[in-house]
Amino acid sequence: MLGALVGLTCVDTLGMNYWLMIPVVCLFGMIQGGFVELIGVRPAIKIKSEFGWIMSTIALGIIFKNVAENIWGRDALPFPSPLSTDPITFLGANIMPMEILVVVGALVMMLAVEFFNRKTIYGKAVVATANDRDAAGLMGINTSVVITFSYALSSLTAAFAGVLIAPLTLTGATMGGALGLKAFAVAIIGGLSSGLGIIVGGLILGIVETATGFYISTGYKDVPGLILLLLVLAYKPSGLFGKSAIKKV
Amino acid sequence: MMKLKSHIPLLIAIVGLFCLPLFVHNPYYIHLAETILIYTILLFGLDIVVGYVGQVSLGHAGLFGIGSYTAGVLFFHLGWPIWATIPASIVVTAIFGGILALPALKVVGPYLAMVTLAFGTIAQILINEMTWLTEGPLGIKLTRPEIMSVPMTKAEYFWLVSGVMILALIVVDRFVKSQMGRAFEALRDSPVACDCMGVSVYRFKVIAFVISAGFAGLAGCLYAYSEQYISPNTYNNELAVLFLLGIIMGGRKSRLGAAIGAAIIVLLPKLLDDINLFRIVASIIAIIVVVGAVLALSKKLTTLKRVAIPLTGVVGLAVFSFWLESISDWRLSIFGFMILLVVYYLQSGIVGFTKSFYQSIVGKTKTTRGEVLVASDDSVSFISTVANKNTGVELLKVESVLMQFGGLKALNNVDLSIKRGTIHGLIGPNGSGKSTMMNVLTGIYIPTAGNVLFSGQSVVGKTSSDIALSGIARTFQNVQLFGEMTALQNILVGLHHTFKSNMVEIALHLPRYMKEEQEARARAVALLKFVGLEDLANEEARNLPYGKQRLLEIARALALDPELLLLDEPAAGLTAPDIKELLRIIRKIRDSGITFILIEHHMDVVMSVCDTVSVLDFGQKIAEGKPAEVQADEKVIHAYLGT
Repeated sequence: MLGALVGLTCVDTLGMNYWLMIPVVCLFGMIQGGFVELIGVRPAIKIKSEFGWIMSTIALGIIFKNVAENIWGRDALPFPSPLSTDPITFLGANIMPMEILVVVGALVMMLAVEFFNRKTIYGKAVVATANDRDAAGLMGINTSVVITFSYALSSLTAAFAGVLIAPLTLTGATMGGALGLKAFAVAIIGGLSSGLGIIVGGLILGIVETATGFYISTGYKDVPGLILLLLVLAYKPSGLFGKSAIKKV
Repeated sequence: MMKLKSHIPLLIAIVGLFCLPLFVHNPYYIHLAETILIYTILLFGLDIVVGYVGQVSLGHAGLFGIGSYTAGVLFFHLGWPIWATIPASIVVTAIFGGILALPALKVVGPYLAMVTLAFGTIAQILINEMTWLTEGPLGIKLTRPEIMSVPMTKAEYFWLVSGVMILALIVVDRFVKSQMGRAFEALRDSPVACDCMGVSVYRFKVIAFVISAGFAGLAGCLYAYSEQYISPNTYNNELAVLFLLGIIMGGRKSRLGAAIGAAIIVLLPKLLDDINLFRIVASIIAIIVVVGAVLALSKKLTTLKRVAIPLTGVVGLAVFSFWLESISDWRLSIFGFMILLVVYYLQSGIVGFTKSFYQSIVGKTKTTRGEVLVASDDSVSFISTVANKNTGVELLKVESVLMQFGGLKALNNVDLSIKRGTIHGLIGPNGSGKSTMMNVLTGIYIPTAGNVLFSGQSVVGKTSSDIALSGIARTFQNVQLFGEMTALQNILVGLHHTFKSNMVEIALHLPRYMKEEQEARARAVALLKFVGLEDLANEEARNLPYGKQRLLEIARALALDPELLLLDEPAAGLTAPDIKELLRIIRKIRDSGITFILIEHHMDVVMSVCDTVSVLDFGQKIAEGKPAEVQADEKVIHAYLGT
């Protein structure tokens, strides 16, 4: 949400080019993610509070949204599209060039993250920290930096997604809330730590939503996805494509 | 006498509550007080899930809405009176609470938060969209309930709500102090141990959500009549966050905390509407915190560095309040900022914080946790002697069990035969599969192949709690006590199976429940005495020294009235005198007819008490026989010393 709004400011008031703006937004997202981790997550984990960090990230979310409302106003703003707005006909369907860009952008981002996690030493540090923080720390990895970094990276991705989607929808302070839960649903349905799972999860959610909107009523369109989320968690918490872990006593 | 005295403040509060409408005539203030009472009921319920079971729930706004709408719909479509809608709301919401519990069984922490959030969102969407039932966004209008066909006045309805609140208070208090409350806390502290004590985690998590939802439904129903108008927008996710904030701010596991939390979350939005009021309150809070910090510093309880951030925070908030011209734009930011302060510096809530602060300033420490120890006479039989003293008959038979994790065979076709009344040692180098065997026997792992027969019946595929109830108790290699509960309460969880009373009996304190509770306490004290911990009965288990924790675990396992007791490295980390004591206890338990399987690395312990010893290595049984024979076995020496 903030990513899109910062992007909008860059393009609108500073007269920046859309493509030039993307790195700026990504940088901003990174800083914001690091900030969230530093202010919201780290102290809460340090005091070993069970829901401390859930509450503190919610609180930061509320503050960001409110600040954004005060700076950019409450109304949704249109975002200028960098590509032409004339639809292209492809296999009998009308597609906006921007929609293709969203798909390409998502694929690029995904490949980048996968490459980072699998091939680079820094990515391995992230995965190691996720598996066992203490052991990673003993191996000389500065785990707190890794965690801050992973928050920054995830925020960067979110900000990037924000500017990608912005020309298609309207930009505003309220755009983030509904998307957060949806992103979570996609990740869980597909299975965490599975790149393929996330794409399939996204496809399932998208199809289910549109189908419900078309056959029943648009008001209900969020419901089946969320119910699917609850069902997946109730029967296969590791997701449709995830590996289940064996608990040790 | 003591009991009456401690109830005086509560009685004064109740009388004050009932007198309120006589002195305050402004309907606005009465309505505020009424809302606080209703939220208090909801927070009582939420506290069961959050405080006792330790699960996050952001779904309670949805449950609250379901309660409201059950009352609203029944009133609107069928014209039901309030005495019928209240139970209906409770039942309907409780059912939804059960549905919410299903995914909650599998996930914890942030996942659970998101799941409950999703549930709340679904509830809100459904209420909004099912126009034929709920009138959708238009909302439903209600009138206050009638007495003798005359609608209640505001004051009369306030009295009704107060009465219900006090009832809810009593019922919740009785629930959480009963075996059920103990089960909730136990499953928070150690789910595995909970299952192995015959208290099904699955069952009690669902029960906790159901009870909690019932209270939410009750609150929702009262709320509908109080507002006289309900619409879907009320029950959004911000309300859920607000409820959670109320619990954390007020203080978990405390009825007073729930009431304070409710007052704060009702008054906070009003406070943030009025800039002048906000300035005053922000200043007062700043002054209180500064004074408190100075006091704490002067007593050297804390350092300047630690109080610096909260001090700047609250003083900054006060300054900020005077700098602001209009508050409405920034109220959410202030709200968020307050959540942050609470999360970091007031985690135990206002009640918990005041308590510990008062104690550290006055220098008094709590001696007991308010539970009077029942004097035990020695006649109480704390170990129920096993009826069937047929020693020598096979009690447990393990038939070629295979336990495979991926490519690793942790147990490879192991056979064991344990005879009744004996102590069977299970030894082997680290990683040889001893603990895996324990986990297979207690149902934590389901073996890939093979069978386990206990008293002639297969236990494979049964749940851990069923196996525990059928007579297999265990201790854990890495101690799994219920840390935040006292030693006495730990044992009472083990005695959970002796309770037959249901929720109604607990709520009304009917004789059967009272008798069961008293008997259980007497036996728990006797068990503590047996392992020499009666002086530490009211100490929290996590504060006990390691050796004592191991003994407490054995006492807790004994409470289950087992026929077979599995001890997983009971002597690990114990000092020499402790080990002596342990051996005495083990022998004494054996004399009452209980059979043992003992995993141990201390060879002197194994050699001195075991009747038979089996040796495992790389998941295979390599030797079995009398301790002395096994000790001399070539293969065993090879396995332990290598080459």
